[in-house]
Amino acid sequence: MTPELTVLALAALLQMAQLALFAAFANRDLGAGYTTSARDRPPSRPLSILSGRLQRAVTNHFEGLILFTIATLTVTLGHQSTATTQTAAWTYLGARLLYIPAYAFGLRPWRSVIWGVGFFATLTMILASLI
Amino acid sequence: MSNELSILALYGLLVLVQILVHVLAATPPLGLPYLVGPRDEPRELTGVPGRCKRAADNAVVALALFAPAVLLVQARGAFTPDTLLAARAFLLARLAYAVLYPLGLPWLRTLAWLVGFIATACLYFAAL
Repeated sequence: MTPELTVLALAALLQMAQLALFAAFANRDLGAGYTTSARDRPPSRPLSILSGRLQRAVTNHFEGLILFTIATLTVTLGHQSTATTQTAAWTYLGARLLYIPAYAFGLRPWRSVIWGVGFFATLTMILASLI
Repeated sequence: MSNELSILALYGLLVLVQILVHVLAATPPLGLPYLVGPRDEPRELTGVPGRCKRAADNAVVALALFAPAVLLVQARGAFTPDTLLAARAFLLARLAYAVLYPLGLPWLRTLAWLVGFIATACLYFAAL
């Protein structure tokens, strides 16, 4: 298993933890009666500011994770794993970890800067797989 | 690296570019302070920036379906000239989609989406 694949597994676990964290906050805000229903109507109480931020952070990481998945798999299956791609993979994981508190605390402009770090780490890996 | 995997990587690049274009297109209407902030109050994108956003969102969904198809074919060692043709058709269709959506061309955009969709389905059938 390449280091990139290890990071991919860790990134997926991070996303699952992030999803669980958001679900806990959403249940607190909306009540389990609503969240376990079919949600045919919008909730009577809105999500709190914090829960809304956690939700957007989760949604954003699904997008990032799909791209990171193909980056790790094309690098691994193409036998293109190098120190550069391994560093990029760990950088991605670090960025996505920091992205959660940066979003929760509304750190401006650091959330966007951190997002950009993850974006360029993924770009680096995909480009490396093609060279 | 197999040609199909290269196409997957190239499509990944296209999706990254579409996300970047969407962010750049959203900056004038929404403003940089809003974009780098926590976006607690939703703001709607209209016109071309809105089209760029919807095109990027759709590209991510297409990627989530295309990537497992390519990886399944790879894992089964089932690469054939047909799978290469399907992968190429997918990439070209999605490239056309990325251009046609901001231009607001109806029908043609849907046709491009459909070609990408069918090409993906062909890869799954090849993997089975």
